[in-house]
Amino acid sequence: MIKSNYMNKDSIIVSNLTKKFSFQVKNANSNWLKNIFFPGKKEIVAVNNISFSVRAGERIAFIGPNGAGKSTTIKMLTGILFPTSGKINILGLDPTNDRKKLAYQIGTVFGQRSQLFPNLPLTDSLEFFGVMYDLSDDDIKKRIAELIKLFDLGSFIEQPVRKLSLGQRMRAEVAASLIHKPKIILLDEPTIGLDVVAKKSLRDLLLKINKEENTTIFLTSHDVGDVEFLCERTIVINHGEIIKDLPTEELSKTFVSEKYIDLIPEKIFTVFPDLPAGIRYSLKDKDKITVIVDVKIIDVQESLRQLLSTFKVEDIDVYNVDLETVIRNIYERN
Amino acid sequence: MSIKNEIKFAVYAIKKNIESSAELRTSFLMNVLGMMINNVAFILLWMFFAKSAGPIGGWTPMDIIGMQGFLAISYGIVLSAGNGIRKVAEYTASGALDRFMLSPKNLLTRIATSSMNVSAIGDLFFGIVCMTIYSIAIHVSLIQVFLIFALLIISMVSFFSIIIIIYSTSFFFIDANNVTTGIYELYFTPALFHGGAFQGIMRFVFTFVVPTLLIASIPVEILKNISLDKLLMIFILTIVWLLVSIFIFNKAIRRYESSNLMTFGN
Repeated sequence: MIKSNYMNKDSIIVSNLTKKFSFQVKNANSNWLKNIFFPGKKEIVAVNNISFSVRAGERIAFIGPNGAGKSTTIKMLTGILFPTSGKINILGLDPTNDRKKLAYQIGTVFGQRSQLFPNLPLTDSLEFFGVMYDLSDDDIKKRIAELIKLFDLGSFIEQPVRKLSLGQRMRAEVAASLIHKPKIILLDEPTIGLDVVAKKSLRDLLLKINKEENTTIFLTSHDVGDVEFLCERTIVINHGEIIKDLPTEELSKTFVSEKYIDLIPEKIFTVFPDLPAGIRYSLKDKDKITVIVDVKIIDVQESLRQLLSTFKVEDIDVYNVDLETVIRNIYERN
Repeated sequence: MSIKNEIKFAVYAIKKNIESSAELRTSFLMNVLGMMINNVAFILLWMFFAKSAGPIGGWTPMDIIGMQGFLAISYGIVLSAGNGIRKVAEYTASGALDRFMLSPKNLLTRIATSSMNVSAIGDLFFGIVCMTIYSIAIHVSLIQVFLIFALLIISMVSFFSIIIIIYSTSFFFIDANNVTTGIYELYFTPALFHGGAFQGIMRFVFTFVVPTLLIASIPVEILKNISLDKLLMIFILTIVWLLVSIFIFNKAIRRYESSNLMTFGN
């Protein structure tokens, strides 16, 4: 009952959030001495009046190109940075004023930063975080045992953290951030630098804690795999503004007006004739042709009819572009 | 409950820092022993100087040992427990301060206990030896024993308060490492000097403006002369500096802008 009530609530409510940074710049019209004492000032708007909300238990990808404002937003959500204007409400708390209270409710993982003791065994770091979150000795032991099982940490739990592989360390980082059973976990590029196996393992684990502990996941990543595999909803941010907020599976439908069609020949393709308007070659090979259809110019049915009358094929496949292309398309368009 | 948990966590964090440093055994022992040898050499120099020059401002060579006792114990305890404060410039420049901002504990305590200065343990042992020698030499009375503990607390709190103020300046400009180190040296170096050398305007400046003499020189004089009015004065001064340091730190932290450099370790 408690769980279902919690699931219906908003975990995160962000209203008209803005963050500006100002810094000193060299004034090209002044000499170096004047620049030392009277430098110019520049202001940048890292996050510009964004609003969104996240339901409890949701898995959100917060994506955008470098410098889009992702990390700045996540840092404001966690209370690291103070907003210039706007309001944030996380589980009923304001990160600016209730930073310490909020820390008991959220977990954070920064892919580029470690929070573990490098010289001590992993178990010491987990214990350290348990004490930091005021867990009793018994609760710490119990939770560490749960995390060892959940994250399969057993084989390296006694190893000093500096001797762990990057994949093992990231698993350990996520485990450490979950020691106090947070309701929300915020991850900033958690798979950065990981190989494909480690990435998959980490994604599986995050999905597991979302399912088993109903933890809300708020993730920023440049890795399309993270978004595609893990997140049911994607918020796209660029130049500090939200440019799209929609279910992940609808990203490609909404943003790309192109379909890809693969044609497999009965024997081999020998000629590659000119195609009708709206259809162009992407791949010309004797064993396979791929064409791109602009559905604003020609619909899929008509393009298939034209292609089948031009080529003798054994098989045909119509599909959307991959998510990476979609996201690139969104960024470029913006 | 909250204060109890804060203290429990601070003690635990210090314990973990010691364990973490001790993991690198050779480096740990070299640091501790090296600092003790360094201090012995330093104090011998001052002793020879004080013996040749005779009493200056009422200070004898034995008072130099007492001064070193206060200084080394205070320095040893503050920096073996709270060396993180001296890393604030580094933390702010790299963005490593983020992880402390995410802690549910008091930010100042969390930062302070994030690092230990291993060689400060050498200072602490050295300070205890000096203080023991001095206590025996001046035949301490019971009231002086209590005074030693009270003065050590005042010395540590004043030292800790001033380093909080110095390193809080890191939030106001980028690449503050050299500047904070310079200000720190300006504050701390005079504490190593012969206490009798500070007279007149110099004494006023280094008591009220740059309160270096609160760490060791004035405590030695109070202990020697059992001067309770001076004790009250430095107690009040220390409380004022402590409150000012907390106020400045809380103001300064709001200017933190984070950054995205890679960092590692607790």
